[in-house]
Amino acid sequence: MVVAVILPRFSLAIAAGGRAALAEGPLALAPEPGRAALVGEVSPAAEALGVAPGMKIAEALARAPRLRLIAADPVAVADSWERVLVRLESVGAQVEDGGVGLACFEARGLGSLHGGSLDGVVKATRGALRLPARIGAGSSRFCAVVAAEQARSRRPSVVDGAAQLASAPVALLAREPATAKLVEPLSRFGITTLGQLAALPRGSVADRFGRAGIMAWELAHGNDRPLRPRKPSEPLEETLTLIESASGPQLAVALEMLVDSLLARSELGGRTLRAATLSAELTEGGTWRERVVFREPLSDALRIRTALALRLALLPAPAKSLRLAAEQLGPPAPPAEALFDDEEFRRAGRLSEAIGQLRALAGPQAALRVLLADPQSRIPERRAVLTPYER
Amino acid sequence: MTPAARRLGAPRAVRVCAGVGGRPLEVEGSEISAVRESWLVEDSWWSDQPLRRRYWELVTIEGGDLVVFRDLVGGGWFRHR
Repeated sequence: MVVAVILPRFSLAIAAGGRAALAEGPLALAPEPGRAALVGEVSPAAEALGVAPGMKIAEALARAPRLRLIAADPVAVADSWERVLVRLESVGAQVEDGGVGLACFEARGLGSLHGGSLDGVVKATRGALRLPARIGAGSSRFCAVVAAEQARSRRPSVVDGAAQLASAPVALLAREPATAKLVEPLSRFGITTLGQLAALPRGSVADRFGRAGIMAWELAHGNDRPLRPRKPSEPLEETLTLIESASGPQLAVALEMLVDSLLARSELGGRTLRAATLSAELTEGGTWRERVVFREPLSDALRIRTALALRLALLPAPAKSLRLAAEQLGPPAPPAEALFDDEEFRRAGRLSEAIGQLRALAGPQAALRVLLADPQSRIPERRAVLTPYER
Repeated sequence: MTPAARRLGAPRAVRVCAGVGGRPLEVEGSEISAVRESWLVEDSWWSDQPLRRRYWELVTIEGGDLVVFRDLVGGGWFRHR
């Protein structure tokens, strides 16, 4: 049995400073700086006035003139969501991160830890979360999500197979990115429940909607892909507080320092980076966050900087602080071989090996270099910094 | 600041005996024979950590050249190295 946990309006609650704020009136999450002018999650009061997530700001304000827009805080949301996932993992679950507000895990094997029943697992989950959550269980991932959507705040519900999915609305297909676009055309055809969709011939659905249609049909029959639990790992991140509001060349120097510092961390153990997250606290308020997945696992500081600098150029305003976190690690980088006999290449290899040994003995601050952060600054201590030596 | 990155030339406190107008007369026990230059630096006035310093470039009686500054926000005398 799969268990799904839904924390409704999670991003809005974090940005507004707590769930209590959601009851204060019509609220909506403002778009992140530089993004399309669409509202994000909305409070129940705003929903009652006809404001829906994804609506244009102008339309939302026309429907609810007293609507209060809350500045998005993607960094705080990501941090809080990570804490939620860690709490779920603390009950022994292997958790699949379904995006902010949704997490799933397999209950099989956890029963013996928590009283031998699904109720025990749900109780332990609630105890670990310490947050109001909708919890559902089902024979597949999608069934569990539908069950969680139907659950009330204190009572879990169970959806066991296609028969119990039949009365659920097709709007629930919006939970899956691949089938979200089918909700509107299916409704236009008069197909409003998953039972009606499941009753259609598979071939007809495939002819009309292609691969997404087949996926929706399978979901309506209670079939879904196996869970893909995340691998719990130690957080590996570096933060740089910028004395002056930084943009342009100053940010490039800050990025160089962050990459060097991250690669010097002993926890990395010579492994490569597959994905990283860049985030910033903006001087004008709010935060900014970008996830970067590298084309191939990287361990070279220059190539990592080059890839990250392209995203850093999207920063919508000067930053007060910059953070770089390693999201996924790859295998250790194999030692590179020179095409020709090259003394400089061999020397660089010996130097890297020596630095590695030095750091293993004396820590990440064992081999440093001087980096000119702002050589023209009138304030002498802002001109240069010592940062870990990385070739 | 990340723990692995340290700023170079961070100010450290020095003992200064100043006269009229804030002119240093003695730095760490060394008597000052001449003032070569004095200038004011103001920065970050728009932030909640404004910076205001009066710098003095001095010559000691031993012939040494040194630069000290008085922090006009938090008080105290400092030099960079």
